[in-house]
This record gives sequence, structure tokens and C-alpha cells, in this order.
Amino acid sequence: MSITVNVNGVEHQLDVDENTPLLWVLRDHLDLNGTKFGCGRGLCGACTVQIDGTPTRSCLTTVAAVSGRHVSTIESLVDQQPDLIEAWVDENVSQCGYCQSGQLMSAAALLATNAAPTDEDINVAMAGNICRCGTYSRIRKAIRRTAEARQ
Amino acid sequence: MNSVSLNNLSRRNFLVSSGVLVVGSYAYTSGFNPVYANGTRTLSPSVYVAIGTDGVVTVTCHRSEMGQGIKTAVAQVVCDELEADWEKVVVAQAEGDAKYGDQNTDGSRSIKNFFMPLRNAGAAAREMLVQAAADSWGVDASECEAREHTVHHAASSRRAAFGELADAASKLAVPESPTLKSRENWNHIGKSRIHVDAQDVATGKAAYGADVTLPNMAIAVMVHAPVLGSSPLNVKVPDSAKANSRFIGIETIDATPGPIGFNPVGSVAVIAEDTFTGIKVAEELEINWSDSPNQDFDSDTFQQDLREAVEAPGNVWHEVGDANNMLEGAEEKIEAVYETPFLSHAPMEPPSAVANVVGDAVEVLAPVQDPQTTRNTIVGAKNFALENVKVTPTLLGGAFGRKSKPDFVLEAVELSRRLKRPIRVQWQRENDLQYDYFHAPSVQRYEATLGENGMPTAWRQRTAFPSIMSTVAAPNMVEPANWELDMGFTNTPYRCENQSIEAAGLKAGVRIGWLRSVCNIFHAFGANVFIDELAEQAGMDPIDYRLAMWDGMDVIQGALPSEPGHEFKIERLRNVLRKVRENSDWDQKIADGHALGVAVHHSFLSYVATVLEVDRSDPNYKVTNAHVVLDCGTYVNSDTCIAQMEGAVVFGLSAAQRAKLTFKDGTIQENNFDGYLIARMPDAPSISVELIDSDHLPAGVGEPGVPPVAPALSNAIFKAGGGRRRSLPLI
Ligand code: FES
Ligand code: FES
Repeated sequence: MSITVNVNGVEHQLDVDENTPLLWVLRDHLDLNGTKFGCGRGLCGACTVQIDGTPTRSCLTTVAAVSGRHVSTIESLVDQQPDLIEAWVDENVSQCGYCQSGQLMSAAALLATNAAPTDEDINVAMAGNICRCGTYSRIRKAIRRTAEARQ
Repeated sequence: MNSVSLNNLSRRNFLVSSGVLVVGSYAYTSGFNPVYANGTRTLSPSVYVAIGTDGVVTVTCHRSEMGQGIKTAVAQVVCDELEADWEKVVVAQAEGDAKYGDQNTDGSRSIKNFFMPLRNAGAAAREMLVQAAADSWGVDASECEAREHTVHHAASSRRAAFGELADAASKLAVPESPTLKSRENWNHIGKSRIHVDAQDVATGKAAYGADVTLPNMAIAVMVHAPVLGSSPLNVKVPDSAKANSRFIGIETIDATPGPIGFNPVGSVAVIAEDTFTGIKVAEELEINWSDSPNQDFDSDTFQQDLREAVEAPGNVWHEVGDANNMLEGAEEKIEAVYETPFLSHAPMEPPSAVANVVGDAVEVLAPVQDPQTTRNTIVGAKNFALENVKVTPTLLGGAFGRKSKPDFVLEAVELSRRLKRPIRVQWQRENDLQYDYFHAPSVQRYEATLGENGMPTAWRQRTAFPSIMSTVAAPNMVEPANWELDMGFTNTPYRCENQSIEAAGLKAGVRIGWLRSVCNIFHAFGANVFIDELAEQAGMDPIDYRLAMWDGMDVIQGALPSEPGHEFKIERLRNVLRKVRENSDWDQKIADGHALGVAVHHSFLSYVATVLEVDRSDPNYKVTNAHVVLDCGTYVNSDTCIAQMEGAVVFGLSAAQRAKLTFKDGTIQENNFDGYLIARMPDAPSISVELIDSDHLPAGVGEPGVPPVAPALSNAIFKAGGGRRRSLPLI
């Protein structure tokens, strides 16, 4: 069946099973490979995107559920929060990098609603994103650095 | 930049059949492998570096990038000797080819083994550029100097950019032993550099295994046998799948008889046009599996077997004095048993591989740690000619040892051969956890008697674990190998004049492999907690206790001879321990009642001391602070070394706090991140790292930060009043 989704400001008409998780629509049908597959069960955060600004696990969200809503992915973050990306690079946060799209989308959503997150706020907002390489302390620094620079 | 001339048959076949390879947002064009044919105008004195007439320096990284920053470090080394401008350096990933030397990105040895070859490559190119400039000016090369991507002749104020010189330089002979820069003139080695892929990662452009897409490619979602050794007997495909036009079909793969090695396990592959179709059909298949000798394997029973093994004498690896009689006759002895469970690598990127078989050739793009072994394994298993097999690593989304085993690549090759089209194999997390090459569980038993001064007078240590060799070499190689024991056991720095060091091996019913720091994880745990217990018994500070034990000691000899220049020096171990004592404010904090734990360990030729502080008031003993001191000899990217220590603390905490895998009836019980518990943001302490400035030879960085973490946590929990915790996970 045909479904319309808005991803990064572009409307797409798709002929897919309506139960297809958004993750696989992004990756396999829209060639937006920045969003990653880590667990498929909402446990790791590698697939995090924003839906109307809310960080969401795209592996558990069907494409039907986002019809008529705005999906944004890592590919659009450079337009939305370039300073956050810059902080990420300057802090040399990433190791293997595989989790980082998801980390960035969660961090961006946090900063959009909380201009001065505390350590506890960061813990809560980021707890759903696993980094097996263990870059957490740098993620924390990059979030703080961005928040401070914006003050 | 000049492009590459290609003589590779498989490559040519491949290009004819399918055009340009598209990897993520990159086009993998022929500029990929900088082996420059004679007659091009590019200067390439070595397989590791090429300088084009546009001045762009291409450094070819022949080791796999999995987060350890090797692409950046390799470029730093070459750039330094070359006197190149960092902004004009690009890094290419090499395919698997023996001409690069060893490509097995494992064992924390990329810099250790290739520091000199890479320096020589950069220095040779520099000397050729200088000679070309000198020739064109009619002056002696000794009057010229390379700096900032330019050759200068000070006397005449003439200069020429590298790009202008590349053509002429490429016609000169390659100097055999170029003069290397002296250490004080290094301007990239030892400095901090942002990873070359950092921007791509942060914008979602970095391409991993599952980001490779080829024209006409199909996806294979794997359903693996629930038990190692089983094969699919029959498979029922539901009618709903048959009606789905995006479902292509199923293929069965039998378990490979004989040694497990890197062979594929029994599976049913669901071939589909897209991943979700494959996942959905995979869930609906009804499969009967054959019986397997491993179907009764139970991790609790196995752990009990390991416990029993350390009750009896094992193979004796080291014996001095009369430890056994002294311990039997002792009125008082200290005795402790330490245990660790099965662990999984669980890199964030589950295994995924793309293969394209065309005729008698195959091309692979996959996140592999060793493209040469992958290539050779394909040759051995699938009867391709070596020159017809091309393997190029993508970025690895974490690996930690898992992706040096190319079982998942062999699946892709076999499926592509059968389906005659490019195939991308996709594992789900459940596949990854069921079919890891697991970190071995272990049990160790330590016994000692103490003298008047609190120092050990007799000492016996036994370890038991399943050897990696029983999986990768031959099923009957169950006894721990010398290299496994030299990971913190036979090369223990805790020596005693009456000492027995013994080991035993048992065969597990699952695959065993190497995980970041390997046997050091359990051996550092047992040794460092036991020392803490002895210090407690002796009424001494655990740091003082170690220093007293090491008084007058110089070099530790393990079961294997040391590499020249890499002897295990007690002085360096002592040094990192003293530094971490200072940095953590150990004495003051202990006096003030803070709960701190310490551990120190030598592994991969490096020395690491770690102090963790836990929150006494937290029932889970949250780690608040970590202090790490690393002596890895000469280092390349200082920030990478720090990042690796930070990452190692978190990696170590996962194992220390909550991670544990169990098997019932041969089948894994924890098959996703709700059962296999990895450290998350709230678990991450603030971490400070000191790097020792050293002119020793470069040693390991990726792994040696891991081993001290679990024992430091156990020792801190003891200080916090949580009792002696001798079994991982601790929480
Ligand atoms: S892949 Fe969606 S949370 Fe892990
Ligand atoms: S950077 Fe590797 S998993 Fe986060």
C-alpha cells in the first residue's frame, strides 16, 4: 500500500508494508544509511531519529505511525544543530562511530528542550543509547560544551 | 590525484558486471588502492604512501579501523616523517593483500609492528622529494630541507611544493634506509589529532558493512541453528511469505564438519529484496534441526566442572621451592577462588557482509579485522584462486576481536555463489549473541601462606578455562596455550620463592574466541583481588603491599621469551602504580574513608594502573571516578590513547558490573541487550588518564586498559563494605 512520509523536510510516497519499521524504510527504501541497526528491539538507541522533535527508536516505530508527521534523521542534523556536530568533532567523541548517529539524535533532542542540562538530565536522556566503545564521558562533555556555548 | 591502474582480475570482472561500487555515500572508485603502476607521475615509494602531482598525500591504512583510531595514527606517522601538511593527507583503506605485511588487526599491535615501516615509508618519500628538488636546482640535497609540504633551499631562497616534485621524484631510486627524524623534531607523532572520520561519523556518512549496497543486491537474513553443530533438516515456508513478491527464497547451510574454525554454522538464510521482508519471513519459518553433541551444553554445569578442575593439580607451568608441601602443612593459609562467566563482544554493529561472486571470482566488502585471513579462508573453503578473491574492509562498527573471525563473510560468499547476484548477509543481535566466539569463562584458585612481615612464603595458583585453540585450531587442543597463560598468569608479577603455577583446560559446547584483552580479563581479576586480600590480611595498604613484593625485582619472565626491547620491567609497573596513587589522591582519600580500589596489570607489552572510586551509599556501588595511568612506550595519537583508556574503563565496567551469558541445552539465554547488560551513560564515571612520556618502543593501547577495571571495582566494593566479591559480574 502507498504511504506518505516526511523525512528531513521531503515528502516520500512509498509502496511498502505499513508494518515496516521506520528504520528499514529509511535504510532500505530511502537510502538514508546514517540511522543504524543495533538490536531491533528498542534496547540500544542506534536507530534513534526524531519524530516531531521527540527522540524515537525507529526500529520499533512502524512507517504507518509516522504518516503525516515529521521525521528527522542524522543526515539533517548538520542543518539543525551544526554547533552540536562541531562539538562532537572537537571533543573527538566517536570511536567506532556506529552508535553516534543515535547518540547525536538523542543529544540534539535533549538540547532542544533543555538549554542547560545537568549530569542527571544527561543520564536520563542518554540512558537508552548504548556505546559499546564507551565514549560516554566525551558525549557528556560535547553536550555540555554545546549548551555552554549557546548561553 | 592520479587514479590507479588495476591489474586485478576479480576487480575487473566485478566492474564489468556491476559498475561502480557504492558504499554509503561514497563511491569506491579505482582511486581506492594506491598501488601505482610504473610510468605514472605519482610518487609512491611504498605501499603505504603516494603523493600526487596535485600534492595530495594518500596514506594507505592496511589495518582495519574499528574505533581505535588507526587510520589517523598511521597517517600521523607517515605525515611526520614526510614533513607533509596534515590538511593535505587523505587516508585510504587497503584491501587484503600480503604486500602490506600483516593485516590482522588484533592484539593491540598495529603501531607496535608498523611504526618503523610507516616511518620509513614517509622518510623515503621525503628524501626522494628533496633529491628531486636538489637535482632541479643543481644543488646538493644536503643543502635542502623538507618542511610544510615544501622543499626549501635556504641559500637561494628557492622552494618547490611536494606536488610539483612528485613526478620527478617518482623516477628516482627508493632509498633503502632513509634517515629518520629525531624524536625532538616530531610534530605529529605523540600529538593529539581528531580522528580522520570524525566529521563523517557525526553527520551519518561513515559507511559500515550494512551500508554497502551493490546494484541488484539481495539481503540474506540469517536464522542460525539454536545449538552449535546442528544443521537444518527441513524448513516450512509459510504461504504468506510465498505470496510476498519481495521474498526471494530460502537457502540452507549445513554445519561444517570437523574443526569449528571460522566456518559457517548451520543456518537457514532468508533471501529477500529488503531487510525487513527477510526478518519477517525468518520469524515465520518452521525449521527442524538435526541433533548435535552440544545440545546438552549447560553453562552452570560447565562452571562447576571448572571449579572442580582447580581443586586438583593442573599442568605445572612454573615451580620453584616447595609450595605444595608448605601449603598442605600450613596451619594458616589464605585461599580464594575467583570466577568469571562467558562474555560476548557484542559490538554495536552486528555482523554483516557483502559478497559478489561473478564466475570464478569474488569481491567482498565487509567489516573484518583481518582481510588477508578472510581472503585465505574464502580460498580454502570455497576453492577460489587467491588472485580472484578481493576483500576490502569497510569501517567496523566495533569489533573487539569478533570480526577477526570471518564466518559471516563465508555465508555471504556461499549465498552469492548460489544466487548468482550480490548478497548482503545481515545478522540480528540475536544471531550475534548466539553465535559469538565467546570470551571464555574461568575459575582460578589462589592459595598462599604469609610470613612474619606479611609477605607470601608459599604460593599456588591454578587457572581453568576452555582454550581458544579448541575452537580455532583443533577440538582436542583443550589445554590452555602458553600465549593464553602469558596473559597475566604465567607472567604474573607476583612471585614467591615457593611457588607453583598450574593450568587446566576443558572443552566447551560453544565457540570460544578472543575478546578485547582476552585471558588478561580473568587473570588480572584473580591476581589483583588476591593481592588485595593478602594486603588486608597483612594489615598493609594494597599499593604498599605490591611495592614491597616487588622490592629488588627487575624483569618478569613468562612462559614465552620476551621480544627484544619489550621485556616486562617491574620498574615500569611500579611507576604507573605510583602515579595512579598520586593522581587519585589515594592516601588522603583512603584516610578519609573513601571507597577506592586499585589494580595494576601488564598486557600487550603496556602497563596500566587503575583506581576506581565507588559511592558507598549506593546499593549498586556506582563508580564515580576513575583514574588511569598508561605506559605504552612511545605513542602516536595522545588523544586516542586517552580515549582508549576511557573506553576500556567502560568496557571493563560492563564485564565487572552486570554482563554474563548463560547457556541451557546448548542455547544462549540472553539474546539481546535486555539480558546481556552493557554499561550505559548513568554507569559511566568521570575518568582521568595520564599517559607516561616514554621513549620505549611502542606497545599496545587498545586492550591493556580493560584488565585492571574489574579487580579495581571488586577491591573498591570491599572498601565500601560490600564484602569480598570474587565472582564476576559483581553487582
Ligand atoms: S536498533 Fe532500535 S533501539 Fe536498537
Ligand atoms: S563509538 Fe563505537 S559503539 Fe559508540
